[in-house]
Amino acid sequence: MSNKPLSLEEQLKVNDLTVRFYTYEGIVKAVEKASLKIRKGETLGIVGETGSGKSVTALTILALTPSPGRVEDGNILFRKRDSSVIDILRMNEHQLLQIRGKEISMIFQEPNAALDPVCKVGEQITEAILAHRLREMVEKSIEVIKKEKDNEYDLWTRLETWTYKEMLNNPSDVRLKIIQKIPIIRDITKRRLRQVIRQEIVELLKLMEIPDPGRVIDAYPHELSGGMQQRIVIAIALACSPLLLIADEPTTNLDVTVQAQILDLINRLKEKFGSSIIYITHDMGVVAEISDRVAVMYAGSVVEVAPVKELFRNPLHPYTKGLLESIPRPGSPLKSIPGTVPNLVDPPSGCRFHPRCAYMMNKCKEIMPRLVKVSEDHYVACLLYEGESDD
Amino acid sequence: MSSNLRTYIARRLILLVPTLIGMTVLVFAITQLFDPIERAALYITEPRQARFVKEIIAKYGLDRPVYIQYFNWITQVIQGNLGWSQSLHMKVLDALVTRFPATAELAIYSTPLIILFGIYLGKLSAIKRNTVIDHASRVVAIIGWSLPSFWLGIVLLAIFYGGMGVFPPGRLSEWAEALVRSGEFKLYTGLYTIDALINLNFSVFLDAIYHLVLPVITLTTINVALIMRVMRSSMLEQLNKMYITAARARGLDEKTVIDRHATRNALIPVITLSGLLAAGMLSGVVITETVFEFKGVGYFAAHAATQLDIPAVLGFALFAGILFILANLIVDILYAYIDPRIRLG
Ligand SMILES: Nc1ncnc2c1ncn2[C@@H]1O[C@H](COP(=O)(O)OP(=O)(O)O)[C@@H](O)[C@H]1O
Ligand code: SF4
Ligand SMILES: [Mg+2]
Repeated sequence: MSNKPLSLEEQLKVNDLTVRFYTYEGIVKAVEKASLKIRKGETLGIVGETGSGKSVTALTILALTPSPGRVEDGNILFRKRDSSVIDILRMNEHQLLQIRGKEISMIFQEPNAALDPVCKVGEQITEAILAHRLREMVEKSIEVIKKEKDNEYDLWTRLETWTYKEMLNNPSDVRLKIIQKIPIIRDITKRRLRQVIRQEIVELLKLMEIPDPGRVIDAYPHELSGGMQQRIVIAIALACSPLLLIADEPTTNLDVTVQAQILDLINRLKEKFGSSIIYITHDMGVVAEISDRVAVMYAGSVVEVAPVKELFRNPLHPYTKGLLESIPRPGSPLKSIPGTVPNLVDPPSGCRFHPRCAYMMNKCKEIMPRLVKVSEDHYVACLLYEGESDD
Repeated sequence: MSSNLRTYIARRLILLVPTLIGMTVLVFAITQLFDPIERAALYITEPRQARFVKEIIAKYGLDRPVYIQYFNWITQVIQGNLGWSQSLHMKVLDALVTRFPATAELAIYSTPLIILFGIYLGKLSAIKRNTVIDHASRVVAIIGWSLPSFWLGIVLLAIFYGGMGVFPPGRLSEWAEALVRSGEFKLYTGLYTIDALINLNFSVFLDAIYHLVLPVITLTTINVALIMRVMRSSMLEQLNKMYITAARARGLDEKTVIDRHATRNALIPVITLSGLLAAGMLSGVVITETVFEFKGVGYFAAHAATQLDIPAVLGFALFAGILFILANLIVDILYAYIDPRIRLG
């Protein structure tokens, strides 16, 4: 899987992504030559213990690598709605604004932390809609005015209509800009736009199976339960029907019944919106339930990728085998992988898994295995399989 | 929501009563350090009463149990009798009332400047962290912070007034002073800039502003670092939060992310500090008032303290106490407006 271009059925391809954090303790080699691909409409599960680089990879796909992180190598190819292919890592800030939230969006591990505490949830959803669907909303507002029975429009309605037409045809008009700076006038001339957006949000919240959307819109995040907060975060992410949804452990911090509801919701929304999904988790059970294919990450690299059934039936990488054996099962003793996730400032040489690997060979300490194809759609990065076949 | 806010404010107002009582008890406790004859001065309102110290001690029970004394004293205070100031030869309350406008005039111009500059510089520093702009503004602020105010005041006076003959000390020029004292000019607030505007007398207004320039510059230079430091670290803290990443992830431009989300959250700790700063400025800035002959409350308090004028010092303590309590009240209400989480607690 080197720098191959996107085939038509592929939505996103991450090639040899390398991300490092320059901290006082040293250089954290958080992601090392990680490669992934997501096909259109499929759900890719990413599993791995805490610290294996899942979140950093996810955020880097949005070009939001947290500081002091730097992308050192690799590319992230993405097929946009208009079918053109871009490299996200080579976009400027302006171009990225057209990708984030519109083509790719994200839901987070802690919904409580992902919402601005001093901003009503309705406003936060509105922001997402205004950022990418302003035109559509303004057009709808004009329609609303046209449909109103009485055609004797008062002065305000005419001003409102003028404002909308100007917003569509001539957004840089000086008069428009002045009007939008005067608080009361600004509010009056956007009355229907506000109603239209509010209606849009109510519909969106209904899709999220939120009871009493009218009340929730005006609530602050802290007034909602964790499950409701996560539904809001999902609503924000889906507000512009993105092509790719990245869910970074969206149920980890919720209690078990709510977890099941959210998982269920995401599954149903996926069918409705047809988005591709990257579902990140450290829970093998969740992966089995939600993914079409699974990528296993260890210490910053993708070590195995396979369709979900294939992975559970025929795990190849020693780490994957360990993960599967550590799933709690009634009647059999819990086995956990010996050792701990390595310190990524000074990671093990060669294969980063070698200190914990039961199959370790001498060359494992020297050679970093690359992801190779072992059978149709099944890739593994382990020297045990090197040379069997190449991509 | 707004009913939430209303109950919060109501609760906060009710809390005002015990706070005020607590503050007066503390001030009263100071009086217990003095013997009854000294304490009698607190109840004198005119110099000729001084002959009747014994009677006053008896009348107010200054040799009786503490709670009775407190009750008697607080009754006087509530009636506005704060005693006689020997150092100023007038009632303490009158002294405070006549001195306060000068202080207030300094405060209403410096405090907003300090807060606005502090917030602006702190925000700029945080956004441009570790760039030349960040380092430069921090260095300048720290230099301002560490300058002694009397030194800065005197240097400014020497350069502008001494060297160039502009920006003289005092609150008004002689001609304006004379006009203000004549019956033609009506005093409403005692703040000359504001009264001049009410009187529609722009030359007095400009003269008052002319005299305010240097003391306001001094106070702003020295205090801006206070707000800036808190704003910068608060902003940096907010910019690292997940909701900021989330806001960027939904496609918001950097200006919106910073202005609508990071700044609003970052302001929360700055509000407390601004409230305390405002209260501190209103309760008098001794050195600046002295250097620029802006004879306000700070000047008066310092003078009274050096003369061991106990009623005046206590009156000043009460005054400052009330200001700080009110500032805290305003801060708490502002908090509730900005941070919805507070209204629950
Ligand atoms: N802001 C940061 N500064 C320094 N190191 C970081 C930062 N964010 C993540 N890392 C490091 O990158 C590695 C991968 O982290 P992360 O992607 O969050 O793991 P995961 O999501 O799989 O639990 C970890 O070793 C972590 O310490
Ligand atoms: S490369 Fe070697 S150490 Fe790494 S997983 Fe394979 S066998 Fe184990
Ligand atoms: Mg994570």
